[in-house]
This record gives sequence, C-alpha cells and structure tokens, in this order.
Amino acid sequence: MSIKDPPAKAAPDKDWSALMAAAQDGDAKAYGALLGAITPYLRGVARRAGLGPEEIEDGVQDILLTLHSIRQSYDPKRPFAPWLLAVARHRLIDRLRRRGRIRLRETALTEAHETFVTDESNHHEEASDVRRLHEAIAVLPAGQRQAVELLRLQELSLKEASAVSGQSPSALKVALHRALKRLSRLLPRS
Amino acid sequence: MRSTEDLIASLSTGLTPVRRLKPPLLRALGWILLATAVIAILVLLRGFRADIDACLQDPAYLIQVVGAWLTGAAATLAAFEISLPDRKRSWLLLPLPFAALWLSGFAYGCLGDWIAIPSGAPVMADSIRCLETLVMASLPLGLVLWMMLRRARPLRASATAWVGALAVAAFADTAHLLIHVVQASSLVLVINLVPVTIILMIGGFFGRQALRAAA
Repeated sequence: MSIKDPPAKAAPDKDWSALMAAAQDGDAKAYGALLGAITPYLRGVARRAGLGPEEIEDGVQDILLTLHSIRQSYDPKRPFAPWLLAVARHRLIDRLRRRGRIRLRETALTEAHETFVTDESNHHEEASDVRRLHEAIAVLPAGQRQAVELLRLQELSLKEASAVSGQSPSALKVALHRALKRLSRLLPRS
Repeated sequence: MRSTEDLIASLSTGLTPVRRLKPPLLRALGWILLATAVIAILVLLRGFRADIDACLQDPAYLIQVVGAWLTGAAATLAAFEISLPDRKRSWLLLPLPFAALWLSGFAYGCLGDWIAIPSGAPVMADSIRCLETLVMASLPLGLVLWMMLRRARPLRASATAWVGALAVAAFADTAHLLIHVVQASSLVLVINLVPVTIILMIGGFFGRQALRAAA
C-alpha cells in the first residue's frame, strides 16, 4: 500500500517548521495557525490516499491527534513536511487497512433481513438506546471511558476532570475525541 | 462528529510546552553506555570466566563477544531511529551484518570443534547461574530502553520493539559470554541461543503492546 507524495510546492516547509518549533515551546497561537494551515494539505493527502469524501475529515482528525501526541518527536533542524507526511502515511495506512478488514467481514443488510412489515417493529432496539450507550461506553479502554464519564456524563470542566483523573487536560481531550469517534462507530445512526 | 476546526481549537487551547527528544544517535549512545556499564558491573560482581586468558586467544570467542556487542549497539541505534516517524525502514537492516558475525562465532566454535557434555558435569547448576546473569542484564536494560523508546510514542511500535529486544538480548549475551564457562558445544548453543530467543520474543511481543499503548 503506498501513498503518493503531494506536490512539494503545497508545503511551505520553513513556515511550518518555525510554527511547529514555537508550538513545542507552548505557543498556542502558532500551534492553531499551524494546524489550520496543514489541514487543507492533509485533506489532499487523504484524498490521494484513496479515502472517500465521507472519510476524509475523520482521516485528517486522526492525523492531527497523532501529530499532537508525538509533537515532542519533531526535530526543528529537520524539514517539517517529510515528518508530517510520514505521520499522515502511518495513520492513513492504518485507516485503509482497518477499512479493508471491516469490508471483508461485513455484509450490507437488505430488505430480506427485515422480519416485520412496519419500520417500528424492525427498530425495537431504539427503546433501549440508553442501555446500548452504556454498554458501548463500558467497552471503551479505561482512559477513554473515564474521559467520557467525567467530561460528558458528569459534565465536569477540563480542569476539574484533570484534577479527578490525574490526566493532563490535553490527554483528556485526546481521549475524549477518540472515545466519541469510537462510540460513533459502535453506535451507528439508524 | 465534531468539526476539524473544533478539534484544532481544542488541541491548541491550553497548549503546554513539550521537551524535545534528543537526536536518536545521542539517545542510543546513552543507552549503549548504560548497557556497557551494566555488563561491567555484572563482571565485577561475578568475575570473568575462569578461562578468560585462553578465550582471548580464541578467534571464535572474540568473534562472538565483539559480534554480540556490535549487534547490541547497532540494534539500539536502529531502535531509536525507527521510533521516529520520518526515518527510513532500512535502519532495521543495520544490525543484521553484526548479528551474522555473532552467530557465526557460535557456528565456528561449536560446529568446528564439537565437545560433548562431560559426564558428571553440573549442567543444571551451571545453567541456572547462566540464566541468572541473562535475567540480571536483560531486565534493567529492557526496562530503561522501553522507558526511553516510549517517549517517542513510536508509530512503528512493532518494528521498534523487535529491534529493541534484539539490542537487549545481544548485550545480555555479551555479559554471559564474559562471565560463564560453558564447555560442551550443545550447552553453548542451548544456554546462549535459547534465552536470547526468549528475550527477543518476550521483548518483541510485550514491548510492542506496551509501545502501542503509549502511542
């Protein structure tokens, strides 16, 4: 599986490298500017990798989250674009492999799978949405489950949740984002 | 699904500074020095093998020891390089020539001059002492290496773990070769290669899981 290199002119490497170096030093403004600037570039990379329009934003968000969690590994003496592209490649290849595996074992439902004439009869599980939600939360990894419970179910602020869990606000944000994405996969909209 | 703009705002809000990783060569050198120090401490604690003078005249032995140490050093550098996302996969090939040298030392020493197990030799007691040395070397080294590698949160967790485990196994065997006399050829193969393979498997498998959990 290969992901083609995007055109070099699409990546103003020096600016991005300087922004990333500033972000590593804690400059939130530079970080926001960097993430905003690389997002269209990453959409292009994701599109070229073969992601469908409905998957591109998910793929880009995956890359941004990974970049955030490994930002200490970037060396400002080296060019930024190859580092970013390598991170993007890893995440997109993971995503394409996962998609391949899911497609291999899933079969789309057809009308023949319906057992009753009325829609309501086929969707009786809607009555137990809350139970399904709690079951789905229960299967999340511990860190993600805690993030959902504290930030969504108990509606604590990031600061409060951080004090309760001992995790940094940044780690909680990443965990919550991953948890919500996972839940949206576990609980597809009917 | 929340929008990418929301995610960017969320990630950049309250951003904290991070400590940049030192260059991989520097980090690898640090760990290689530590590994060499651990080997030296073990030699001080347990003493050189009784026949060390004769061994130093034996090319097969020298090839084994130098090959094992170089394999450890090369695998360490490869592990630190491959733990970063933008480094070439070809780093994984770096330890291979040295590993071939290390293994060729065993082949040359054992298969060229096969020595049977002497009758009445305390095989079990010797084997336990050998295993002790291997565990005393590999446990602290493996733990420190894992702690250093996980700081990079490697995206290639599997490759990083396997080549890191090779580094640990090679340095542990260097210590073993300097400390223990194993006369019978079959025991040389079993006592060196089996634990090395076990360290490699444990380090590769658990290291991969642990590094994935960190990523």
